[in-house]
Amino acid sequence: MDRQKVLLFGAAAAVRLLLFTAFPSLPHLLAGRVEVSTPVTSFKRLQEGLFLYTHNVSPYDGGVYHQAPLLLPLFSLLPNPSYYPFATNVLFTVVDLLGAQALMQIADSGQSVKTRLFESSRKELRWSSLAMAAGFLFNPFTIATCIARSTSALTNLFILAAMAKASQGASITFVFAIAIASYLSMHPVLLFPPLLLLCYHVRASKSASAPSLLSFAIGHAGALASTCGGLLYVSALLTGSWEFMRATYGVRLLLPDLTPNVGLWWYFFTEMFDSFREFFLGVFWLHVASYMPGLTIRLRKQPLFVAVTLTGVFAVFTPYPSIADAALYLSLVPLFRHLFPLMRYTFLASATILYASFLGPAFYYLWIYAGSGNANFFYAITLVWSLGLSVIVGDSLYAALRDELDVERPELKGKEVKRI
Amino acid sequence: MPSFLSLLLLSIILATVSAGSDYTERLLLRPLPQSALLASFNFRSNDSQLSFEEQNFRYFPRSLGQILQHAHTKELHLRFSLGRWDAESWGQRPWNGAREGGTGVELWAWVEADDEDEAFSRWLTLTNALSGLFCASLNFIDATKTIRPVMSFQPEGDHSNAPNLHLLHGTLPHEVVCTENLTPFLKLLPCKGKAGISSLLDGHKLFDASWQTMSIDVRPTCGIDGHCTLEMEQSVDMVLDIDRSKRPRDNPIPRPLPIEEIKCDTSKGYNAGDTCYPLDKSSEPSWNLTEVFGRSLKGACPLTDQEGENAETVCINTPPERTVDVNTTGSYIESRAVGDTLRCYKLPTGHDFDLNLPSQQMTTGLVLPSPPLSAARSINGHGQERGSIQTVITNPSPTSAVEFVYLESLPWFMKPYLHTLRARISASPENPVLETYYRPAVDRLRGTHLELRMRIPAASTLTLSYDFEKAILRYTEYPPDANRGFDVAPAVISLIDPAASDGRGQYVRTTSLLLPLPTPDFSMPYNVIILTSTVMALGFGNIFNLLVRRFVGAEEVVAGGGGLGALVRGKIDRLKGLLGK
Amino acid sequence: MALIATLLALRKDARILKLPPYLSAICIIVGVAWLLVLPLDEYSRNTYVSENALLPGQVHTYFTGSEHNIFRAYRHEVAGLADRSVEERTQRLSDIFRSSNLKVATQRYSYQAAGRNISNQNVYAVLQGPRADATEAIVLIGAWTNMDGQINHSGVALVLTLARYFKRWSLWSKDVIFLVSGDSTSGPQAWVDAYHDSHNPDTIESLSIKSGALQGAVAVDYPAGPWGHRYDKLHIVYDGVNGQLPNLDLFNTAVNIANGQMGISCTLQRMWKHGDSYQERLQTMLRGMISQGLGHASGPHSSFMPYHVDAITLQTVGDGWHDEMGLGRTVESLFRSLNNLLEHLHQSFFFYLLLHSKRFVSIGTYLPSAMLIAANFSITAIALWVQSGRSTSPIPNPASTSPPSTKANEKPETTMTAVKTPDGSTTLIPTPLLSITERALFLPLSFILFTHFLGLLPLYIFNNTPEPYLRLSFETTLALTTALPLLIARALSLFHRPTHQETTLIQCFSLLLLGMFLAALATLNFSLSFLIGILTTPLSFVRASRNRLVALPALGVLLALNPVVVIRAATVYWGKDVVEILVQAAEGWHVWGLWTQVVVWLVWWPSWFAGAVVVGSGLFA
Repeated sequence: MDRQKVLLFGAAAAVRLLLFTAFPSLPHLLAGRVEVSTPVTSFKRLQEGLFLYTHNVSPYDGGVYHQAPLLLPLFSLLPNPSYYPFATNVLFTVVDLLGAQALMQIADSGQSVKTRLFESSRKELRWSSLAMAAGFLFNPFTIATCIARSTSALTNLFILAAMAKASQGASITFVFAIAIASYLSMHPVLLFPPLLLLCYHVRASKSASAPSLLSFAIGHAGALASTCGGLLYVSALLTGSWEFMRATYGVRLLLPDLTPNVGLWWYFFTEMFDSFREFFLGVFWLHVASYMPGLTIRLRKQPLFVAVTLTGVFAVFTPYPSIADAALYLSLVPLFRHLFPLMRYTFLASATILYASFLGPAFYYLWIYAGSGNANFFYAITLVWSLGLSVIVGDSLYAALRDELDVERPELKGKEVKRI
Repeated sequence: MPSFLSLLLLSIILATVSAGSDYTERLLLRPLPQSALLASFNFRSNDSQLSFEEQNFRYFPRSLGQILQHAHTKELHLRFSLGRWDAESWGQRPWNGAREGGTGVELWAWVEADDEDEAFSRWLTLTNALSGLFCASLNFIDATKTIRPVMSFQPEGDHSNAPNLHLLHGTLPHEVVCTENLTPFLKLLPCKGKAGISSLLDGHKLFDASWQTMSIDVRPTCGIDGHCTLEMEQSVDMVLDIDRSKRPRDNPIPRPLPIEEIKCDTSKGYNAGDTCYPLDKSSEPSWNLTEVFGRSLKGACPLTDQEGENAETVCINTPPERTVDVNTTGSYIESRAVGDTLRCYKLPTGHDFDLNLPSQQMTTGLVLPSPPLSAARSINGHGQERGSIQTVITNPSPTSAVEFVYLESLPWFMKPYLHTLRARISASPENPVLETYYRPAVDRLRGTHLELRMRIPAASTLTLSYDFEKAILRYTEYPPDANRGFDVAPAVISLIDPAASDGRGQYVRTTSLLLPLPTPDFSMPYNVIILTSTVMALGFGNIFNLLVRRFVGAEEVVAGGGGLGALVRGKIDRLKGLLGK
Repeated sequence: MALIATLLALRKDARILKLPPYLSAICIIVGVAWLLVLPLDEYSRNTYVSENALLPGQVHTYFTGSEHNIFRAYRHEVAGLADRSVEERTQRLSDIFRSSNLKVATQRYSYQAAGRNISNQNVYAVLQGPRADATEAIVLIGAWTNMDGQINHSGVALVLTLARYFKRWSLWSKDVIFLVSGDSTSGPQAWVDAYHDSHNPDTIESLSIKSGALQGAVAVDYPAGPWGHRYDKLHIVYDGVNGQLPNLDLFNTAVNIANGQMGISCTLQRMWKHGDSYQERLQTMLRGMISQGLGHASGPHSSFMPYHVDAITLQTVGDGWHDEMGLGRTVESLFRSLNNLLEHLHQSFFFYLLLHSKRFVSIGTYLPSAMLIAANFSITAIALWVQSGRSTSPIPNPASTSPPSTKANEKPETTMTAVKTPDGSTTLIPTPLLSITERALFLPLSFILFTHFLGLLPLYIFNNTPEPYLRLSFETTLALTTALPLLIARALSLFHRPTHQETTLIQCFSLLLLGMFLAALATLNFSLSFLIGILTTPLSFVRASRNRLVALPALGVLLALNPVVVIRAATVYWGKDVVEILVQAAEGWHVWGLWTQVVVWLVWWPSWFAGAVVVGSGLFA
């Protein structure tokens, strides 16, 4: 087992470093792809911010750099990537490996099939954590993200870490991880309630006397708030002013940069009438946020599933999604291997995603370079892509509910059911 | 064998015009190679600072004066330019480039204000008023097109008594300069184009020129005695193609000449009645003012001095051997200077005046001073996603290094990556960049402002390049001709010359660039809104439909009522369940 | 969704598995029939100019009179340079340009392809438009030698004369660039690459003079010698590299001017006689498709297309009464139209099939045919998948869980491709069978990966073999590729006898990939996708079968449709030398950035190979 793990991780690292060194122009190429790196995660923009930061120009007094301030000192420690990229490459490789490690911890915790209040009737149907890690490490989307050195890899790492720690009931590390994730890209904060619940369940099942949920929640929420506050304060000290808030979270909220991506927002707000822009921004954000409470309440017995589904929602409905988010979701879904038999549109959805990932680049080329197609080509593909992902999300949700039903009422198992 | 006659004195002569006198004007004509003719008009009017502040205008135009007072503008430079100066064959730019602007409209001014915001609001007042005065869309110079240069521009005037001045600079590269800008320009002149050299300025010829620029400069000058005057200088420089402007206006089509009028190379073996290798004309073309400018020069403007060199308002700069016949009924005075290469004429008042140069075979030519720098800027790469700017600056001088400031003012939707900025000098590893000033753009608020102080060694080429990314705009932000692209203002190169001839400085400007942006489909807003909303609704509806509902066995529903109807209903429901699944 | 649900529900039905072959057959038939009806009046349209700024033929042209004498003189000059060295030629041409007061520059370039060294020089002159501000430019090209290697006497002479003539006009609102390229393919490529600074400065000289963004390019090909030759028609060549086409407006403008204003009739795709009948339309379309599918450079204009510069070549053909001045006036009028452009050409169509100089089919009408062909592979792939899932689940499932079970069986493949998990251990069957399927998926996937990587080998070989060895390598490849499937199949049957399920899965994956590639390709290069689709149709019908009566003919068909064999047959049919084709392909790869061979070796060949191996394994099973 352990040898296999070493082998797997070694292979993954080797593949990445090989790609980095064998094709020196590949990182640059991928970093320029709109599907891989967005204005809020692009490595080239990070380099620009770094350049301005090291030359004492505020990187946030400009329209290029929209990423978290603490990344600047971190990356300024490394040698300049445009001349000595090796250190940066190693860093991103390690980030992926740690993510895989966290994923394995989640899988080993078994929270996906058996929580304190719920135990799936199909729990014997599982994949080994090693297979999960392999699925994550050799997912072409993950590899592309890593080669493009997009900072969403960091966000993914911390989301995975938060899930892992929550599923182990390690409160402090969990809160810390989720705080960093939300600090880096804001929307992961929505993962806090379900993961909090998960953490609570684990703790409760471990210790004989379960602490009261309320105090537990308040305590952790307080911890989260203080950690985030601390991070923000340090950032403010670092950049000397609070204007980074507008340049980072403000950009995510208000979408001033309409660079194309695989999501639904950019073309919508390109074509939106100015008078309605604010209104629809509000609606879209509300829409994203609305999934969290609904799922958490209905599926309170399987909080991990809620968290995973939310990552899927992020991959579709956030303003600047990239294939990195899709990679995260697609490598988390196999945790619920036992639900696959109950899913109905898997083949359809996967084929859709597959086609979209082939046609997307082709249509983008036609629009931007050949000039023979127009923006609608690429837009149509982003629609298809989002549709495919959202179908998987919805279908897995159906499967989860059906699974719960089978536990509640075993007599219905394998029978036709309908919703009322 | 062309005789080596220096022209350096020329600029000095033109510069020393004016001292003291209240209104002077001068026209310099200089035939250039390839049957081109440089005509640079220059008008100056002085008013004392006091009378100006008392709103008591004599030569200074009231309309402009009041605008300046209202906007608290102490020094103003306004440029309308069109076409390209061909330094390769025409040599050094007139006024060392100090009286020209980039393609379109360029405006910079020193505004008196307590703080930045006040300065900017006054700047807006100024641009709006000027746009009304000159029928140009200067009012489109908003925050995104305005920068505050720190190194490139130095005040020409004497501002010892004005402490807190703010320099603001704006360009409109896409503005098409045309006759409607000339008319108000002439209106500012005391003689209003009715007499004096300004009577030669005709819209059609001016805007048919290969290169032309109109400039207005207002600056305070103070003498030693502390007596300050406000000097306004208007100049029009143009390069006319003599052949083209000699064509009659009613028939401007360049039809092929009859074969008899073409000089054939009879030495060619194949030369025949139907085969003719054309020889290029070796002789200077014949021309006179009236046919070149399409108007006749209506004598001197009576407001100019009657005596002294300021009275000589028309100068022509040719080799001495070139015959120049004066054709007028009035009395005129001709004087020669600078080794006879410069002939100046005092015009008769009230009588037409014309210069007539016959076609002539020349043995000597003028040596045109070579420009201190030549610059070419272009966009590399293709596709509407990103690209890179490359500027090649050459220092022809074999001996002296040149230090200069390179100013870029880019629109906000063109996002440069400064960390990709590379400046290389041919055959030398040293980094030419001495000092950098960079103010990045903010989306929809302000443009990029980049200034580089650089030094380029003798006889070497400097290549400057940086990458940029193109933003995609909201569909309401595109102009009607979205697929043409957007114009990027020319880069301004201002030489830092210790031995500056006059207080004006030396400038070189590159051409403007065309930046194609990715365009959305402008016919789609409704479809996009509908389709996107549909996809979101599908996701939302699907998920919440599952969340809010409750599962029950299909049979249980049917098991409810008995009888045929219930049975049928059950079947239907079952079918629905089947489909809905 | 409901519909899909019903379909999925229908999957229970065993009969459904019999359907796919018929479905794909229908797809193919409809796809082909679709293409065949396109030339009919009901499905094609008359061309029209939609960019109203062009105003084709609205200006009076003045390129006559003494210009003709000068043209004759220049033609003699060009003829005099025919046997001079490249340097002399460049020098002389620059002098002529310079004598008409233009900015002149030259460019050396050299390429290495198939062991050949292509090196030559370009001469170009920039006419700076008096009204222009160096932001836009249009290009007039006269290649020194045309596609057939003849010296382009009159074409170059015409460019020189027009340069002198255009200089006198003051109405140019764009710069005009006159380019005399060293040859018809690599010269323009080197120039346009350097213009956009995407060249390799070691072998290709950078341009010393540049102008603004290129808005359009027109090449003239008129190889009549020093004593001239009166032509009959203008042959308008419009195919770009990799099958990219210029904006239809440019083509229409040219036809409109030549036909309407000058009375010169136009033709295309080497259809010297075009009676506008169904057969001729179809022939024109098919020729167009083949030329587009090959994606080779068809003239000096081709290299401009990848940079989104619309370009065409005007070629004089036949013996008639039109003279050089007619061509000159056509070019003059065409440039006046381009000069009017306010925006980059964007209005009209970029995807079209031309049936006649005045008739075309737009993408919306013809795309379905290629998509149907591509779809038939996907359908077969799905069917095969379901089949394989069925075959491995012997225990009869309860009625309600069986649909999930089949769907569960799909999961591995989808997870597989979407998420590259090496194990597809996803199915809803008791553990004993489970273990089997786990292994069952490993072989097919690794095999598919292997075949696709194997394709890199011939790709590399053919792009980098020097000319003398090309024939040898081609013949060996021919032999090897014919034998290899059987050998591999034999080897498989010896070392690890593939189960029926495995062979099914191999075929399933390869067809799935093929369908996907072709669908994506159809949007980039319709013709190539269609041609490959047609040539690979048998793959969706052949199956691994022990019955020799079935297997042998299938194998025979496949061996006949081996890509290498097909290439050989094509060269024989068109009487071309295969080496010449390969050399051109190598040149395309190294000079123009041609992608056709990538498609052949990494899409077509692997799928064929997989299919052949599957059938072969049936034999040895």
